[in-house]
Amino acid sequence: MNIQFKKGVLELCALALLAKKNRYGYELVNEISKNISISEGTIYPLLRRLKNDGYVTTYLEESKEGAPRKYYQLTEAGKKVGKELKEEWLTFVKKVNSFLKGGVKDE
Amino acid sequence: MNKKDFMYKLSLYLGGIPVEDREDVISDFEEHFKEGLAEGRTEEEIADSLGDPKSLANQFKASILVNEAEKTTSAVNITRAVFATLGLGFFNLVFILGPFIAIAVLPIALFASAISIIAAGITVFFAAIFGPLITQYFAVSINPAVAIFGSIGVTCFGILFFVGDIYLAKLLYRLFVRYIKFNLRIITGKE
Repeated sequence: MNIQFKKGVLELCALALLAKKNRYGYELVNEISKNISISEGTIYPLLRRLKNDGYVTTYLEESKEGAPRKYYQLTEAGKKVGKELKEEWLTFVKKVNSFLKGGVKDE
Repeated sequence: MNKKDFMYKLSLYLGGIPVEDREDVISDFEEHFKEGLAEGRTEEEIADSLGDPKSLANQFKASILVNEAEKTTSAVNITRAVFATLGLGFFNLVFILGPFIAIAVLPIALFASAISIIAAGITVFFAAIFGPLITQYFAVSINPAVAIFGSIGVTCFGILFFVGDIYLAKLLYRLFVRYIKFNLRIITGKE
């Protein structure tokens, strides 16, 4: 897929995944890279930025395997931004789709 | 590339950011390798899919230094942030460095004007006071009272101008940091 497309939606994907439940870094990377092929490491600077902007907070939790995992949790601001981005994206996609299908009539 | 090489390159290119931030980034990738290995992947596989450590380090550096510049307003911080974003690619030379120079030049020019106005005011003030004492070298052709009060007025105007420029510079700084952050959201990541 076009690289410019991917960059733009990475943030949206991360926020959407975190809206469902708190996740740790590796899990997030896996979920995203399962569907979108990217350099997996790119997710970490993104998470870092979300944290700096106050959209997520992190906490450590022991895993069954023993090593503690850093979990990411959406803040209220993060939830809000996630919702807004999602709405924007859905409207945008709907419009682009209608162009692609040729369904837009001349006025 | 194995884990050791990856980590070495990552921390090498992370130079210049606060130590605790660097340790934080390193520990995120340590954790990533641990999880990957537990899944049965090899160090090489994990490192390959993570991508180029230099490019990753540059992305971290840019967002960390921009964040520092946002927290503490200083010419040094903003310059470091700008140079960190330049590491993200040629694109930023045009879209960050260009506007940065333009935005930096404006308040500097205004500060220079303000200082010139203050200096002019002070010069006229002293010329008006001491001018009559050294008439063989120097002649003030306007009324000394007008010169004195006029020069006080000019000096005050220069000081106000200076203070106004401080506010302007701070405003431009904040707007520019927001602009860089907006750019980072779009540009981050080469592939």
